[in-house]
Amino acid sequence: MDGLTAAEQREFQSRMERKQMKEFMGMFSNLVSHCFDSCIDDFTTKSLIARETGCVSRCVKKFMAGSERIGQRFQEQQAQMMQNPPPGR
Amino acid sequence: MSMFGLGRPQPSSAEKIAAAEQEMDLVTDMFNKLQQACLKKCIPREYREGEINKGEGVCIDRCAAKFFDVQLKVSELLQAEAQAKGASGGGFGIGGM
Repeated sequence: MDGLTAAEQREFQSRMERKQMKEFMGMFSNLVSHCFDSCIDDFTTKSLIARETGCVSRCVKKFMAGSERIGQRFQEQQAQMMQNPPPGR
Repeated sequence: MSMFGLGRPQPSSAEKIAAAEQEMDLVTDMFNKLQQACLKKCIPREYREGEINKGEGVCIDRCAAKFFDVQLKVSELLQAEAQAKGASGGGFGIGGM
C-alpha cells in the first residue's frame, strides 16, 4: 500500500469499499445458512418458535464473539510476521 | 515502457493498485479460511448460550496458533519439495519438459 499517489489511494479505497460490501454480503449469507442449519429443523409450524428464535440470536452472537476473538489472534500474528518475517520470502 | 531499457520500468497506476488489491485479497482470504476452520472446530452447533465459554475461547486461540503453524509448515515443505525437484531434475530451464 506504500508508494501510491493520492489519486491511486482513492481508487484503491473505493475498490476496497466495494469489496468490503461484497465480503459483508457473503458473511451474511453464510451466517444465515449456518444458523438456519444449526437451529431450525422442526417444520410443524410456519413461523419461528421461541426456541428457534433464541437459538438463532445465540448463534449470531456467538459467531460475532468468535470472529472477534479470531480477529485478535489474526492481528497479533500479522504484527508478529511484520517484525520477523519467516525465512525464504 | 522505458524507451532506453535503463532501470526497471515504472509500474503503472493500474498495476500498483492491482498489487495492493491482491495483497489485501490474500489477507482477507487467509482470515476467512482461519475463521471458517476454527469456528467449525471449536464452536459446537447447539447454541445453548450466546457467549463463548472458556473452553471454546481457549480452543479458538490454540486453533489459530496451529493454523498459522500449519501454514508455515506447508510452505516449508513445498519449498523443500521444489528444491529437491530442482536439484534432481538437473536445474531449471534445461532439458525442456
